[in-house]
Amino acid sequence: MLQMKNISKVYQTEMVQTHALRDFNLNVNEGEFIAVTGPSGSGKTTFLNIAGMLEPFSEGDYILDGVNVGSLNDNQRADCRNQKIGFIFQGFNLIPDLNLYENIEVPLRYRGIKAKERKRRIEQCLEQVGLASRAKHLPQQLSGGQQQRVAIARALAGEPRFLLADEPTGNLDSLMARQVMELLEQINRDGATIIMVTHDSELARRAPRNIQVVDGQLADFTLYQGTQPIKVAQGV
Amino acid sequence: MLVHYIDLSWRSFKRTPLVSFLMVLAIAIGIGITMTSLSVYHMMSADPIPHKSSQLFSVQLQIMDDGSTWWTSDNQPLQLTYQDAANLYQSQVGAQRLKMVRSGFSVYIDSDKVKPFSQSARLTTPEFFNMFDLEFLHGSKWSQQQEDNAAPVVVISEELNNKLFAGKNSVGQVIYLDDASYEVIGVTKNWPLTIKYYDLNNGAFNQPEQLFMPFSLLEAKQLGNWGNTNGWKHEDVRSFTAKLQSEMVWIQFWVELKTEQQKNDYENYLLAYMQEQQKLGRFNRKELAFGLRDVNQWMAYNNVVSEDNKILVALSFMFLAVCLANILGLLLAKFLRRAPEVGVRRALGANKRQIFMQHIIEVAMLGLLGGLLGIVFAQFGLLGVRQSYSYYESLATMDLSMLLSAPLIAISTCVIAGLYPAWLVCKTNPAIYLKSQ
Repeated sequence: MLQMKNISKVYQTEMVQTHALRDFNLNVNEGEFIAVTGPSGSGKTTFLNIAGMLEPFSEGDYILDGVNVGSLNDNQRADCRNQKIGFIFQGFNLIPDLNLYENIEVPLRYRGIKAKERKRRIEQCLEQVGLASRAKHLPQQLSGGQQQRVAIARALAGEPRFLLADEPTGNLDSLMARQVMELLEQINRDGATIIMVTHDSELARRAPRNIQVVDGQLADFTLYQGTQPIKVAQGV
Repeated sequence: MLVHYIDLSWRSFKRTPLVSFLMVLAIAIGIGITMTSLSVYHMMSADPIPHKSSQLFSVQLQIMDDGSTWWTSDNQPLQLTYQDAANLYQSQVGAQRLKMVRSGFSVYIDSDKVKPFSQSARLTTPEFFNMFDLEFLHGSKWSQQQEDNAAPVVVISEELNNKLFAGKNSVGQVIYLDDASYEVIGVTKNWPLTIKYYDLNNGAFNQPEQLFMPFSLLEAKQLGNWGNTNGWKHEDVRSFTAKLQSEMVWIQFWVELKTEQQKNDYENYLLAYMQEQQKLGRFNRKELAFGLRDVNQWMAYNNVVSEDNKILVALSFMFLAVCLANILGLLLAKFLRRAPEVGVRRALGANKRQIFMQHIIEVAMLGLLGGLLGIVFAQFGLLGVRQSYSYYESLATMDLSMLLSAPLIAISTCVIAGLYPAWLVCKTNPAIYLKSQ
């Protein structure tokens, strides 16, 4: 479903070339829940940005759901992102002027979904994250955990094939982090493919598949059963 | 999406009320000043009689001998001699034609309620009313027979009728002009004229006369000329009769020519007339010349809208540009501060065009609000102009086209100013801001 082959990303300045990713290879199957770990500056977020088509890559091939991402122009990437991918960010990234309902509505508006259908989806997603009664609240009236649940609801509203989560529990305390993680697991059980970048090894172990990024390359794979590693492999 | 973008713009204004207010104020001041000067310019240069301005022609004849010069661009006098005006009027060539001159009187009536006052008058032939579209409230114009017989009749304006007769139908009443009595035979409706195009000699923006009388009274009563009389060579003019026979120019002459053929015929007629006059010892020049200009050409020829007015309009637009430059800076700051939100929207599927449109709509709304407030400022500006110079009374106003233009100019100039900030924000790389929020 997601195939990256020899992906490289080079940041070029006048003085230096920085290889954020080099010869990065990855296959993700439908329905997987993958945790991406690695030290700071290793290229995790760059990988996620490229996976989410937020950044172009320098070399390689990237096929997402049968679409060759490298051949898309900016507008096509935006459409593809809108239809296939949901984002969850560490900082929630809710728009402060919009209430919860309106925040969740944002991607649906860009997709051109009619108001009635938008309403149905938003109410369903708010119900799913347990915030149906707070639809008219502004983000700053909610706790961090609640805001992240709204962000998840926003990501789910578009019924995406992929959820890309960048440190989704990074700004939350352990209780809220656990609640958010349980929500993501539930969403994965419902069929969504999730790629989650995290620093938290405990949370990472809850994902059925772990990958580690070091110096812009994939370092290893670990499959877990529960919290116990069952397989360790190098490369793809 | 348009309604959604308008909603987002309104929220943006509420989020940053001070900056938004400053931008609207800057636009309003720029638009207010621009529309003040533009409205005056628009009224000055507007076609005063659009449905027939291309059919009415002012006639000039190059009467001067070779070697004499005039101050006009083509060296031709602006008016005709009395004898040429009389000859051209008698010729019957052209659909309608008229001759006229400005005069004036002391006006009074048999009433102690109205004090005598001085009033300018137009001595003209009866075609004046048809050719320049004057309508009658009461009575009518004088007949050709009354014209031929120099009948002591007068047509007065509605305003003068209100002043002398308190607005009652005054047809049949007698008024005194200097020492002679005249019968009122008609009252014209108000004639709202911003430019006194039919006689530009004594101020293009003066009000039309309020007394209209047969042209033949000029000779019959030897009335004085309140307009310009210009001579171009030495003549011994010691009597009124001598003035009528002189080569001095002081009569205005207009002809109505409805087709190109009529115009061609009239041009040929004028040439033939001058050739005929040469046989009588007049028009002593190698090349005969005449002027036949329609209303708009006549106004341009007489520089009704001076260079100063054009420069003033240009300066006001430059001031608007300075206001917009300030707005551009504020927009840049405002939009770039919003880059993180734009990053989120881009991540959620907005393409660059949608982001661009969102911001352009916001700028257009600023322009609309600034334009509406600018109209209010322009009204104050025009009020100031009217109070400073009385002859701007009818010029310093905003007609419907200017009222509609104000927000359009404001919106379009704001959109131009907002193009760069909107473009800059829409090409923001979303990835930069998503992590840092």
